[in-house]
Amino acid sequence: MAIGRQASFSGAPEAGFLAVREVCKEYEGRRILRQVSLSLAAGDFLVLFGPNGAGKSTLLGIISTLISPSSGRVEVGGRDVSQDPERYKRRLGMISHHCLLYDHMTALENLLFYGGLYGVADRRQRAEELLRAVGLHRRRHSPVAGFSRGMRQRLSIARALINDPDLLLLDEPFSGLDQHAAVGLQEQLANLHGRRRTLIMVTHQIERGLALATRVAILAAGRLVFYAARPQVTAADFKNLYQELVGAPPGASGAEKR
Amino acid sequence: MPERIRDNLAIATAWGLFALAISLVFFYAPTEKVMGVIQKIFYVHLGSALAAALSFSTAFIAGIAYLTKRQRRWDRLGAASIEVGMVFTTLVLITGSLWGRPVWNTWWTWDPRLTTSLILWFIYGAYLILRAAVPQPDKRATYCAVMAIIGFIDVPVVFLSARLWRTIHPVVIRAGSIDMAPAMIVALVASLAAFSLLWLILLRQRIKALELDERLFSLEQRLDGDMP
Amino acid sequence: MNLFWLLVHKDLRAELRRPEAVVSMVFFGFLLLVLLNVALPPGARLAPESAAGVLWVAISFAAVLGLGKTMSREKDNRCIDGLLLSPVSAETLFAAKLTANFALIAASELSIVPLFFVLYGDTFFRAPAVLAGVIILATGGMAATGTLFSALTAGTTRNEALLPLLFYPIVMPLLAITVKVTGMIFQGEPLAQYVSWLYVMGAYALIFTGAGMLLMRPVLRQ
Repeated sequence: MAIGRQASFSGAPEAGFLAVREVCKEYEGRRILRQVSLSLAAGDFLVLFGPNGAGKSTLLGIISTLISPSSGRVEVGGRDVSQDPERYKRRLGMISHHCLLYDHMTALENLLFYGGLYGVADRRQRAEELLRAVGLHRRRHSPVAGFSRGMRQRLSIARALINDPDLLLLDEPFSGLDQHAAVGLQEQLANLHGRRRTLIMVTHQIERGLALATRVAILAAGRLVFYAARPQVTAADFKNLYQELVGAPPGASGAEKR
Repeated sequence: MPERIRDNLAIATAWGLFALAISLVFFYAPTEKVMGVIQKIFYVHLGSALAAALSFSTAFIAGIAYLTKRQRRWDRLGAASIEVGMVFTTLVLITGSLWGRPVWNTWWTWDPRLTTSLILWFIYGAYLILRAAVPQPDKRATYCAVMAIIGFIDVPVVFLSARLWRTIHPVVIRAGSIDMAPAMIVALVASLAAFSLLWLILLRQRIKALELDERLFSLEQRLDGDMP
Repeated sequence: MNLFWLLVHKDLRAELRRPEAVVSMVFFGFLLLVLLNVALPPGARLAPESAAGVLWVAISFAAVLGLGKTMSREKDNRCIDGLLLSPVSAETLFAAKLTANFALIAASELSIVPLFFVLYGDTFFRAPAVLAGVIILATGGMAATGTLFSALTAGTTRNEALLPLLFYPIVMPLLAITVKVTGMIFQGEPLAQYVSWLYVMGAYALIFTGAGMLLMRPVLRQ
């Protein structure tokens, strides 16, 4: 199969912006991640595939510092992020499974609050700008409590971008979005990538993921079973490879929701 | 199996020590003039109090160690010592009450030391309730460590506040001098030693039981089809 | 704007917009004052110490009700993750929650304490400045203990039920001192009689604020 170079599983160490080094995570008697290592250059877009329960969200959680690894570490610019987490988190954005929004506050208030947390200089202007970008400007004074799932997800995207992060982590960012909004997000991500932001995305959507990625990884049962620069292959070929490595077609386990 | 031999040796020693302590208490130490034979419960009372104090200090140290090192054995040590400490605190309360009935003519008095013991009983009882309420082992270990630390920090305030109740507790050990016949002190030392050893044995047994519990839990997890 | 004030402002604005916590706290405190009055024989007056006990039972029960609230708001939509992802330190977070909880309890006391004097007799109303000081110290201690425990119980499935079971044994000595001191104030005893207890109350509040600052990080992280 003509998959680019099958880079070593420990990742290409020359990359240098972000490095995950031999991260293991055991939690509540389960080994969720085993010896995961990868590294990214500034401006890389890593897309992470894998069946449910493979540990993808945990890996994102560890990179975000929300979860502490049992062993191993995450480095940015050669420095362990747990040394100075406040400084690292200033440059970080994340879209998680939950929207992390306050129901009783309006869309604008939520963004202003998060802007304040990151010390964004002109947070009002930044918030309005982002609300326009995600198509919620007209609803900016409505409380989040009345928002649909898709609207929450869009506001969540705006929230994650409020501090114009250097590193953006996305856990299934397309879920809950309609076709129009999904295309909009895809453009936004491509735009961020064009501005040399580093992105790590977990998704089930092979086509969307491959279209954006500069690097691709597959995680199965807590192990990184595939990690390489973007393969110059069609989605169909990649799906075959995925099935070979994981033992099930992509999305097959997507049915058993967590 | 040297471990088994060591355990059995400790248990045999404890039996011996208790036999010695009991004979010293009843046949060597003089009977107290005012209180009579009931004063002999004091040797059990103080022995239990020592074991309880050992338990709660151990749990405090284990709590700090768990939060800094994140090793499960510190959680087991903390949990075991609080469980054992609860038993001894209960004994302190019961013997105190039995002692108080003939001497002060009342089952319960709000004396500072008894009140302190009672409040400690509540604090560490809350620890056990918390432990039962959190099924996830890592989370449970963290929360329980925090509870053990907070509970221990509270002890000085508990003791100070208990002084607000009127006291009728005999002050046995004053700073500098001890208000007891020498033979009584010998009996006391023997029973304190016996209780300390009993404490250690119970602690060790509980730690082992908790270890087995955890092993069972992880085996069950594996059977549930999770990752090995 | 300072991070601390940003967080406090957010919590208090939520309460101002829909004062769920304070309203239920005052309601519950009032309810307890009336309920405990039933225990009095008709026409009888309570001894100052017992009256102080009634007041603090009402205040502390109301406080527990409110303490769970500010933390459970962070649990919805996992907003707590949003805070943990941001550059806010656990210490700042604890201090902000403590301040918000203090404000909520103090707000409920503004109604419960006057209602107490109405129902139990204004002859107890002496040395208001000293009484205010005692209330502030006790509220500080309760808020510090409660903030840490509410963060802890928010991580369990039985959060609302568990909070009082952990909270009361720990604050019991503080409440005991507070009741005794309040009783002495009601009796009209001179300040010198109990001033050393005020130091103990202050020390409690300080120690538990410090412990909460240190322990908040492990409680919130997995």
